[in-house]
Amino acid sequence: MAQSGAASELNLSSALMLLAPLTLLMIAMLVYPLALTVWTSIHPGRFSLEAYTDLINSTLFLRVLRNTFEISIAGTLVSLVVGYPVAMHLAAQSPRRRTAYLIMVMLPFWTSILVKSFALTTVFGNQGLVNQLLGFLSGGQINLPMMFNRVGVILGMINFLLPFMILSILGSLLAQDRTLVLAAETMGAKPLRIFWKITLPLSLPGVIAGVLINVTLSIGMYITPALLGGRQDMMVANLVDFYTRQTLDWTAASATAVVLLAISGALVALLGKARGGGTIGAAA
Amino acid sequence: MSTLASSGSLNRHMISTAAWACYVFLLIPSLIVIPISFGNPGQIEFPPRQFSLALYRQFFTDPAWWGSMAQSLFVAVVTTLLTLALAVPAAYALARSRLPGRNLLRGLFMTPMLVPVIVLGLGLYLQFSNWGLLDTTTGVVLAHIMLTTPFVVISVMSGLQHADTSLETVASIMGASRPTVFFRVVLPQIKTSIAVGALFAFLMSLDEVVVAYFVTGAKSMTLPVKMYSSIRWEITPVLAAVSTLLTLLSLLIALGLIALQRKTETEHE
Repeated sequence: MAQSGAASELNLSSALMLLAPLTLLMIAMLVYPLALTVWTSIHPGRFSLEAYTDLINSTLFLRVLRNTFEISIAGTLVSLVVGYPVAMHLAAQSPRRRTAYLIMVMLPFWTSILVKSFALTTVFGNQGLVNQLLGFLSGGQINLPMMFNRVGVILGMINFLLPFMILSILGSLLAQDRTLVLAAETMGAKPLRIFWKITLPLSLPGVIAGVLINVTLSIGMYITPALLGGRQDMMVANLVDFYTRQTLDWTAASATAVVLLAISGALVALLGKARGGGTIGAAA
Repeated sequence: MSTLASSGSLNRHMISTAAWACYVFLLIPSLIVIPISFGNPGQIEFPPRQFSLALYRQFFTDPAWWGSMAQSLFVAVVTTLLTLALAVPAAYALARSRLPGRNLLRGLFMTPMLVPVIVLGLGLYLQFSNWGLLDTTTGVVLAHIMLTTPFVVISVMSGLQHADTSLETVASIMGASRPTVFFRVVLPQIKTSIAVGALFAFLMSLDEVVVAYFVTGAKSMTLPVKMYSSIRWEITPVLAAVSTLLTLLSLLIALGLIALQRKTETEHE
């Protein structure tokens, strides 16, 4: 490109002219608001780090932070345990059938999170389908509480996270050399042993990428805990909203947002590292 | 076919049962709203006892619902057009120049994908309350352009990578001006990528709820914000009709994207 590019290459001034409008918009709508958030968190009238020391001393903040980590990790683990067999099932299909099955994985990816939240309450709610079905089967009235509590948040979360996990693991399963499995079979290895010694270790890059994508996405989750969780299941994003709207404390809201930004920044950096190590990242 | 599944029929059954349970779990939320939407207007019921279009009638006659749908469509169309107008030239400049700091700019355009939306929502809320942009259509559109930029930039830049630069070189050697080269040589080669970016931007803007929830109010409320408060405060069966319409729309867009992807695959073969 470098040597043949001369004539197809733009000169610097036209490049600048083409880049300027979008750059200005991104500064106004992205950089400035983020800077304003940081500024609001450290400058409530004068410079002070009080907002942050207040957060560390706030039992509400600490409880919400713990919730956030617990829910994100639980959601990611469930999504890993459920997603892995699905990725194996997809990997074992012929390419044509795999495409057909993949549509089922991608449909929820395309569905609005609000539609899914509403639908999940009609399926898992107190008078929802699952409870009706269980009641019908057992001949009694059943009200398993699966919504507006932690179970609800995690159900909603994995419905959102699973496609990312499945695609990520599928990528590394498809990249595996199938003759390894054949060789192991010929040598008399049992299926379970083949899985532990070959399939699983070789798929680790996909697993790690999937886990990191899931944790990163769930840490900032707002809609799912707000609509499907109970009062006890507030996550950091909901706390930002609570400070902004309920207590009108913009300083606390900003400090909370900055903490969230720092956590997800660290996770994104980790993800970048994992991908740099030759991982196939399937989510986009 | 000689992978895991062929080894041991017990494992194979376990895996496919587990996978099917998961497929059902993934599909049900997207599909269940459809039958519910044709049910009784009084309550949410599955399966519906009688077929009726009452919920759709309710949706299209209630200005609160229909108006926010119209607002959402308007915001999504304007957002898509403006994002294209800003991001296509920028992507072209990134791909075809050796401007110092190019990587920094590319990073800037990708950042909205990486920052939690709630943080962007709060930041824009603080800024818009200073600038008097809260509860204005201009405000939502500006915010949505920022959010949809990464997807258009990624798509157009990947299209430009596949485009043949020697054609551009030849055209400029033959004396074509820069705009002529762009419109007659480059644009025809990347129009599919632009269409993919546009569909993505449209769907994202149409679906976006968190930022819109922070920056809109009664005057500029989009459909997702209206849905969000309805699910939160007073669940109504009309939601099933709204959900079905939205799902249908995203499905159409997804099908459009798949068709475009097929097209690019055959083009590059």
